[in-house]
Amino acid sequence: MIFAPAPAAPLARSQLLWLAALVLFAQLPLWPHLPPWIAALGSGLVLARLLLPADRPLSTRLRRWFLPLLALAVGIGIRISFGYFLARDPCVAFLYTLVGIKFVETRSPRDGGLLACLALFVALTQFFYGQSIGAAVIALPMVFVFGGALAALREAPAPAASWRAPVVATARMLLQGVPLAALLFILFPRLAGPLWGAPADTGARSGLSDRMAPGTISELSLSDAVAFRVDFAGPPPPPARRYWRGPVLSRFDGFEWSALTRVREGRLAANRSRAIEYTVTMEPNNRQWLFALEHPTALPRPAIDDPTAAVGTSRTIALLTDDQQLLTNAPIMQAIRYTQRSAISDSFAATGESDVRENVQIPRGNPRTRAFATELRERSGSDRAFIAAVLDYFRTEPFVYTLAPPLLLGDGVDAFLFDTRRGFCEHYAGAFVLLLRAAGIPARVVTGYQGGEINPDGGYMIVRDSDAHAWAEALLDGVWQRLDPTAAVAPSRIERGLGGALPEGEPVPYLARLEETWLKALRLRWDSVNYQWQRGVVGFNLQRQRGVLRDLGLEGARPWHVVALAGGLIFLWGLAILIFAQARHARTDPAVALWSRLCRGLARAGLPRALSEGPLTYVGRAAERWPQSSAVLQRIGETYAALRYGPSDALRAELIAKLRANIAALPSAMRR
Amino acid sequence: MSTVATKLHWIARWRQRLWRIDAADRGPLVLRHRRIYILPTRRGLALIATLTIMLLTSMNYALSLGHALTFLVAGLVAAALLQTYRNLAGIAASPLAAGEAFVGGDVGFTLSLANAGAERRGIVVAGRFGPSLRIDLPAGASRPVQLSVAATRRGRVALGRVTVSTDFPLGLWRGWAYVHFPLTGVAYPAPEAPPPPLPQGLEGFDLRRSARAADTELAGLRDYHPGDALNRIAWKAVARGAGWYTKQFEGSGGGGALELRWAELPPSFDVEARLSRLCAWILVAERETRPFSLTLPGTELMSGSGAGQRRAALTALALFPRESTP
Repeated sequence: MIFAPAPAAPLARSQLLWLAALVLFAQLPLWPHLPPWIAALGSGLVLARLLLPADRPLSTRLRRWFLPLLALAVGIGIRISFGYFLARDPCVAFLYTLVGIKFVETRSPRDGGLLACLALFVALTQFFYGQSIGAAVIALPMVFVFGGALAALREAPAPAASWRAPVVATARMLLQGVPLAALLFILFPRLAGPLWGAPADTGARSGLSDRMAPGTISELSLSDAVAFRVDFAGPPPPPARRYWRGPVLSRFDGFEWSALTRVREGRLAANRSRAIEYTVTMEPNNRQWLFALEHPTALPRPAIDDPTAAVGTSRTIALLTDDQQLLTNAPIMQAIRYTQRSAISDSFAATGESDVRENVQIPRGNPRTRAFATELRERSGSDRAFIAAVLDYFRTEPFVYTLAPPLLLGDGVDAFLFDTRRGFCEHYAGAFVLLLRAAGIPARVVTGYQGGEINPDGGYMIVRDSDAHAWAEALLDGVWQRLDPTAAVAPSRIERGLGGALPEGEPVPYLARLEETWLKALRLRWDSVNYQWQRGVVGFNLQRQRGVLRDLGLEGARPWHVVALAGGLIFLWGLAILIFAQARHARTDPAVALWSRLCRGLARAGLPRALSEGPLTYVGRAAERWPQSSAVLQRIGETYAALRYGPSDALRAELIAKLRANIAALPSAMRR
Repeated sequence: MSTVATKLHWIARWRQRLWRIDAADRGPLVLRHRRIYILPTRRGLALIATLTIMLLTSMNYALSLGHALTFLVAGLVAAALLQTYRNLAGIAASPLAAGEAFVGGDVGFTLSLANAGAERRGIVVAGRFGPSLRIDLPAGASRPVQLSVAATRRGRVALGRVTVSTDFPLGLWRGWAYVHFPLTGVAYPAPEAPPPPLPQGLEGFDLRRSARAADTELAGLRDYHPGDALNRIAWKAVARGAGWYTKQFEGSGGGGALELRWAELPPSFDVEARLSRLCAWILVAERETRPFSLTLPGTELMSGSGAGQRRAALTALALFPRESTP
C-alpha cells in the first residue's frame, strides 16, 4: 500500500527557501572540483529560481521545451569540456547541473521530495574528491537542512508560526539517529573490493613519478603535502638511515631518467633478525608504489591495528620486484594502511639476471663527463676507489645544494658538473650515476623519500613531499650498494632534512623549516587530528571492522549473530527513545507531572481515574469519596482545569504554585 | 468439519485484528502498538531507494564518509519512524454521537480524540467515505471530530471503520490505526417535494382557517431553540437587541391534532412513496407546531408534538421494513 504524502498543493515560499538551502548546501562542496562554468550555472539556476513565483515558475511551454534542451546542452558542454562523458567526474558535473534544473521546475511538494533525494545524492559525490574533516563538517548542515526541508514539505509552516519548533524537532531527530548511524557504520559489512569496475578517471596523480628530469624533485620539494605517515612498533631509525625506497630509474635518455617497463619478481632481504616493524598510512596518489625503508624483509600486509593479531593471516597487497620496489596491482585511489618490516641496511644482494645489462647504458652526449670518468677511473686503482674519488670531487669542488638551480640546456650533465655546479638531489644523483656508468660500473638512480619528522603529538612520523629525494645505487661484487652524492655535498640534508640543508632565502616549504614556532606546533597538532581521522573514520575498512569486532569479542561470530546483535541494539535504541520522549513530556509540563502524580496517588488509594474523565468530574468523584478533603480537591481540579484549558499563559507560574500547594495539603495517603 | 470451522474462525479473527471489519470497539479506545501500522509513504520509499543507491556507491568507491552520510540520514529516517509512531500511540478515541439526515444529505457523527501525552500534530481522521479531517492535539487536550456519511437510502447508517493516521514529522512514514465503533445514525426517507397538503385534522378543521386562528392568539415568548420555525421568531425583539425568542401561541399548537395514517394513503403508492409523503407531512406538522399521531402497520405513535415526537416519527419511517407491504 502506497500513500501519497500530501495533497498536491502548490509550493509555498517557505518550502521553496528550505529546498534552495538544501540544494546550495549540496552543491557548495563541489564548486572547487567542477569546471567554473558548471559550478556557476548549477548554483545560478537555484538563485534564479528564487526570483520566480513559488508555485508557477515557468509557463508550460518553457517547462516542456526549455529545460530538457538546457539539460541536453549542458550534457554536450560537459562532453566537450571533459573530452568524455561516461566516467565519474563528468557524471558528477551533470548531476550537479541537473539538480539545479530540477529545482527550476519544482512546483509542488511532490517535486520537492524528489529534488531533496537528488540533492542528497549530489551531496554524497563530494566525497569522491576528499574525505577530510572539513568535508565531513560541511556535510552536517546539509543533513540538517535536508531534515528541515522534509518537515517543511510535509506541512508548509504557517507564516506566523515560530521557526524554532521545526528546527528543534529536526535537530532532535538527527541526534536520536546518531547512535543508530554509528552502529550501522561499525557493523555494516564493508567490501574488500569494488562491486563494479569504476570507470577510470585520469585522476590527478601526486607524489613521486616514474620519471626524473632536472627540476622534478625540487618542484615536489616545495610542497608541504603529506605523502604518508608511519607508526613504528619500536624506536624509529635515526634520520640518516631513513631511506624510503620508491621508483627505481635505470633508463637515461640524456635528459630524463625513467623506470624500466618490465616487472620481474625479486627476493626479500635475508637479514630478518634485525628487522623493524612499522605501519604506513599512505595518502592516495593514484600510483602503484608502496614505500618501505631500505630494505624490506617481508611483503606489506593490510594493517591490523591490534598487536595480538596473528601475523600472516591476511593476504599481501603488493609484490616485490627484483630492484626492490613494492608494487600494488592497482593505483592507490584511497588512503591505505599497511604493515611492513624492513632490515635497515644500505645494500642488498643483486638477484636480477639482467641487472648489469640494464644499468650500464649511456646515451650519446655529455662528452666531458665521460672523458672525466674514464680519466678518473684510470687514476683510481679500483671501482671503490673511483667511487670515493667521485664523492670526494663533489665534496671538495664548490658545489651548491639549492632548490633553484640554473636552467641546463644541451649536455645538461656536462654543464652541471663543470660549469654551474648548482643543483638539487636529482642533479647530483643523475650526474653521479652517469659518471659511474661511464667508468663501467653498473649503477642506477633510486627515488623515494629521505627523512621524516616525528610528530610529538601522537608519536608517529610524517613524511612529506618535501622529503622527496633521489640517490644512487651501484652494483659492486654482486651487491647493490646505496651511494648518496647529496650527502657528500650537503650532509645536513640527510641528517636534518631540507630545512637544515638549504641556504638562507631558499623557498623551503613552511613545515620543512627547522625553527620551532607555535604555528608549526599547531600545524603538527592538526596533522595528528587528521591522522586519527584518516585512521579511524576514513580508513575504516574491512580490516578495521574485523579489528573492532575482535575487540568486542565477536571474532569469528557468524554473520547472523552480528545481525541479531544489531537487531537487538536497534530495538533497544527505539525503546530508549520512546521512553525518553515520554519522560521528557512529563518533565517539561509541571502541571501534567503534578496532576498525574495525584492521579496515581488517588488510584493507589482506591479511586482510579476513568480514561475519559476530565479533571473536574474526577475530583468531584474523589470529593464524594473523601468528604473531609473535598474543598482542597475541588480547588486542585479547578486549578488544573484552568492550567490546561485556560486561555492565557500569563498566570501559569502562579497556578502551578497553587496546584502544588493544594496537592501538598492533601492527606499523605492520597498523595503517595 | 470442526478443523475447517476452527480454521475459518482463526482467519476471521485475524481479519478482524488486521482490518477491524466488525464494529467491535468500545470507547474510549487507546491506540497502542497492536493497532498501529506504519509503512513508508511514496516520499519515504523514494528516500529509501536513494539511500540504497548512496550505499552502493559508497561501497563501490569505498567512501567511508559516504557510508557515514548514508547512515546518518538512515538514522534520521528511523527516528522519524519512531516519532510517527509516538504521534499516534496513546491517543484515546471515543464515540460521542451519531446524527440523522434525510436521504440525500449527510449523516453526521462525532468522535472525540483525547491526548493524555505530549502534543500531537497533523492527525488525519477519515471515515470510509466522506472528507477527512486534519487536526492538531495540544498536550492534554481533547477535541471533537465531526465525520459524515452520505445517506443514500433510509434506515440505519453505520459510521463504519474510521482511520486515524498521521505522516508527522517528515512525511516519510504514514502511521495509521483503525477504530470501528458501533456508532449508527439514521437516514430518514426523503420528504416528498413539494409537500402535499395535509390530510384533514382530527376534528375536521379546515387547515388554513385553523392556522390563521392559531396565529392570532399569542400566549407568550420562550427562549429560541435552533430549529424553531422562522415565522415564529420574535423578530422585533431580535431587532431591539433583546435576544432571540420564539413566539408561543394559545393551545398545544397551531391547529388541531393530525392523524397521519398509512392506511389512508392512496393505494397506488408503493412503500417508499408512502413513507416520503408521511415524512413530508410530519415536517409540515412540525413546522406548524401541530400535534400529530402516526399509525404505521405494526407501529403506532400517540399524538404529540415537538422535537421528540418528530424524531420518533421520522425514525419509525426510516426503520420501516423495506420489502414487505401490508
